[in-house]
Amino acid sequence: MADVRRPWAAADPLGRRRPLSAPAAAGALIRHLTERLGSDIRDLWTDEDTVEVQIDGARNVDVLTRLRDEEEFAFWFLADAAAVDYGPGERFEVVYHLYSSRHPAWLRVRAHVDRQDAHLPTITTLWEGAMFHEREMYDMMGIVFDGNRDLRRIYMSPDYRSFPQRKDFVLPDDAADSPAAGVSPLERPETWDLGRFRDALTVSSAPTYPPTDLPVEDGETAADTSRPR
Amino acid sequence: MTAIDPETRIPDPIELDRLEEERLRAAAGLAPLHAEGGEYAGFDTVGIPERPPQTERERDVYSLDEGEMLVNMGPQHPSTHGVMRIVVKVRGEIVVDVDPVLGYLHRGIEKLCENATYTTVLTYVDPMDYLSTMHNEHAPAIAFEKLYGVKAPPRAEYIRALVVELNRVFSHGLMMGFLALDIGGLTPILYSFINRDEIVDMLSAISGQRMLFNFFRVGGVNWDTNDEFLSRLGTWRGNVLRNIEMNERMITENEIFRARTVNMGRLSGDDAISLGVSGPNLRASGVPFDIRKAHPYSIYRELEFDVITQEGGDSYSRYLQRIAEIKQSIHLIDQIIDKMPHGPVQAQVPGIIRPKPGRAYGAVESPRGLYSVYAISDGGPNPYRFRMRDPSFISLQAIPKLMPGRLVADTMAVMASFDPVMGGVDK
Repeated sequence: MADVRRPWAAADPLGRRRPLSAPAAAGALIRHLTERLGSDIRDLWTDEDTVEVQIDGARNVDVLTRLRDEEEFAFWFLADAAAVDYGPGERFEVVYHLYSSRHPAWLRVRAHVDRQDAHLPTITTLWEGAMFHEREMYDMMGIVFDGNRDLRRIYMSPDYRSFPQRKDFVLPDDAADSPAAGVSPLERPETWDLGRFRDALTVSSAPTYPPTDLPVEDGETAADTSRPR
Repeated sequence: MTAIDPETRIPDPIELDRLEEERLRAAAGLAPLHAEGGEYAGFDTVGIPERPPQTERERDVYSLDEGEMLVNMGPQHPSTHGVMRIVVKVRGEIVVDVDPVLGYLHRGIEKLCENATYTTVLTYVDPMDYLSTMHNEHAPAIAFEKLYGVKAPPRAEYIRALVVELNRVFSHGLMMGFLALDIGGLTPILYSFINRDEIVDMLSAISGQRMLFNFFRVGGVNWDTNDEFLSRLGTWRGNVLRNIEMNERMITENEIFRARTVNMGRLSGDDAISLGVSGPNLRASGVPFDIRKAHPYSIYRELEFDVITQEGGDSYSRYLQRIAEIKQSIHLIDQIIDKMPHGPVQAQVPGIIRPKPGRAYGAVESPRGLYSVYAISDGGPNPYRFRMRDPSFISLQAIPKLMPGRLVADTMAVMASFDPVMGGVDK
């Protein structure tokens, strides 16, 4: 509570939209990108702390290798690799976020992938840690990474057949069709024998609340229904 | 303590016998006894239905050589830090290969968030990494504020930094206790929980919830500080260093603890970077990478602190790193309280927001490493794509790398030193 006299009105303007601007010192990164990778990248776009480029999915290993190894870039840390589905008839994107100590901005590389034929070279040769990222993308979106040595489901069961994060994935899902379903009968509602419970319920003589057999006079109800229960 | 060379593997009698036998067979001009890779054993050996292996790696794991055996650890193993199964291939007492099997806690939070409004997303991310709930809310708050073009008032940013650092203290404190617990010491976890419960009571005084705080909002925080919070904060601040020190005295120089952690699970800086390990685990390997310094968010630009690193890269260094970061966080909390300005804690933001189409990336330094959110808006009331990168999910890949050649009992000790939380791993 250092400065008690500071009026709160002097704080930053509240709720006002900030203009999007390029990070102040990312100019060097943008120049290097356009000069050195000009033929591979397109649609350069910046945010307050991010520089974004788009590439072809098939070129991802070449571009990322150069971004990692060339001294001007030195993006040594793979912060994130995620897949985005733009819906049927559109495309997939595999989005890499990279960190470099030389540049003050995150670099986002969006690799376009054909949605009908979702194949992409693996980058586990560059960063071993991309393995779980790629397994998750395969599991959730169904993108196949060529050359990945361990491309199998990571969250869903091995015999699960659809890709739940695609935009055309509709609930209820096909989990009930999976051979893994019904490990125990409790998990398969269609096998439940509810008939006897239902019969038992209809003839039940258990007391109910509010009681239904009390005499009801005009203008009042048996139970006070004005209070929420 | 005799120093153990990290490259030295424990001599394996079965392996030695096999080598001797092969040497004799080669000398006698006979064909080698065992083919490369061993014989495929199948999933039946670990009690799950049989099916063909799907990948090369899976076939390797499930192929058994002479004297090898597959063992399940989990999914209800008491020290797997949640619900997780590890298939361990052992030869006697020695680990040959490790294959983590995930998904027991998978709730599809990303998909849930894509069907929720921006405000409700902040409630869905809470149960992900349930020991760093405040960090879980911080990253989406940053991303959504970028998307919507709104900025939290300064007091809100200070309160955010305060609760986030408090959360880091109790998370790291619990790691100390759990690591000792997995090694066999029961007492430190009790002291950890004293410290943790004090902080949790404090945070529930400010947020109204005990574990899943739901405290952050787009453009601010839910509540300003109140008397109960501040009085609890003062009491806690008076005791915390003594509590931590009590734990330290019990663990740090303990001979059994040192024997189980020094030189155990040694991860080099290059390997850690390649594996995507981040946060305290990466810094314990000597890489000074801290998002609070690398890409300062919130008010971290205004605070004075250094990036702490350790040299060893082993379990013990990861433990020391946690202790150093607890003290650093307490130092940061002091600074935050000194500098905290007056003012509102919430910007004028409607309940349902519709950001302009765009993309935003928000990354924070959670107690387990780089926790980031990538959100895409298509102009609607809910995010078109909501992606979370959980640090413990990625760090888990280090276990199969580190364990071969070590003892089975050390698997859990090394895993505990990485401090994974399965709620975050399985999303």
